[in-house]
Amino acid sequence: MSAARTQLLDRGVAQALSALSAAAKKGLGDPELAELVMIRASQLNHCAFCLDMHLALARGNGVAEERLGLLAAWEEAEDLFDGRERAALALTEAMTVLTEGFVPDAVYEEAALHFGDAELAHLIGLITAINSWNRLMVGRRVAPGGYTP
Amino acid sequence: MTTPTDDTKSQGYAAEVPVRLNWSQHAPEVYKAMIRLETAAKRGLDPALYELVKIRASQINHCAFCLDMHTKDALAAGESVERIVQLAAWEESRHFYTEKELAAIELTEAVTVLTDGFVPDEVYERAAKHFDEPELAQLIAAITTINAWNRFGVTCRMTPGHYTPGQQA
Repeated sequence: MSAARTQLLDRGVAQALSALSAAAKKGLGDPELAELVMIRASQLNHCAFCLDMHLALARGNGVAEERLGLLAAWEEAEDLFDGRERAALALTEAMTVLTEGFVPDAVYEEAALHFGDAELAHLIGLITAINSWNRLMVGRRVAPGGYTP
Repeated sequence: MTTPTDDTKSQGYAAEVPVRLNWSQHAPEVYKAMIRLETAAKRGLDPALYELVKIRASQINHCAFCLDMHTKDALAAGESVERIVQLAAWEESRHFYTEKELAAIELTEAVTVLTDGFVPDEVYERAAKHFDEPELAQLIAAITTINAWNRFGVTCRMTPGHYTPGQQA
C-alpha cells in the first residue's frame, strides 16, 4: 500500500467547481444525459470516486441498469442511446482525450446539430466540470465508496 | 501596434480559422464559475511556477489560445524565452529548471494525461517532497483549472494571436 495522499481541497476551489457543475447542469436541462456524460468521462479518466458517486446518482434518478452497464460501449449499443445522447457522448470522449489531438469537426458538428448554442455551451461546461472533478479526485486518490446520494 | 496575425496576412500564411462557439456569452454563469475557480486555485502558488504549469498543460492539450495567452503573460512577467522554449523537452533540459519546478511539471503531465491511467506514486511523492501539503493541494487545483480552460479553448476553437499580456491577469 502506497503512502496516503493529501485530502486537502481549498474551500474556494470546491465552491467554484460546484458552482460550475451546477450552472452547467442547469443550462443543459437534461439530468439523465448529464449523469451519462459524467459517468463516461469518469470511466475514461479512471476516477473511482466519481464513478461511485455518479453511478449512485444515476441509479437514484432511475437511469436503466442496462444503459449504465453498456455505456462504455455506447457506439455498439445503438438501441440504448439515441442520436442526441450519442452526439453528447462522442463530444465527451473527444474533449476528455485532448492529449491525442483536438476535437474533430465531425464530432463538434454532430453535437451542434442536436444542441442549440446555449445548450451546447453548457454541455461543454459540464464535460469540463466533470473532467475537473476527475483530476482533483484522481490526483489526490480520494477513495470511492464514501458517497451517499 | 500590429498583432502577429496581422503581420502574417501579408506573408501567405493560412487563413485564420473562425471560433466555433462564444461559450462565455452562451453560458455566462459557467464563465463566472471558471473565473472564481481560477482565483481560488492560484492562491498560495508562485506565479512564475504557475505560468510554467499552464504552458505545459496547454502544450499537452494542444490549446493554441491558451499557449498564446500564457507564453505572453510569462514573458511579460520576466520569464526567459529559453525556459519557455525548452519546456516541451524538459526531461532533456532539466538544468533550466529547479527541482521544485521539475516536480510540478511532472505532476502537471500526470494529472493532465489521466486517460493513460492514474497519477503514478513516484510522481506524486516527488511533488510532495517539494511542496508542503496545502501548497500541493493548490498545485493540483491549479493543474485542474488550466486543464479546464484548455477544454473550453480547444472545443470552442478560440483563436490564438490576439492576446495582449496582462489582459487576463
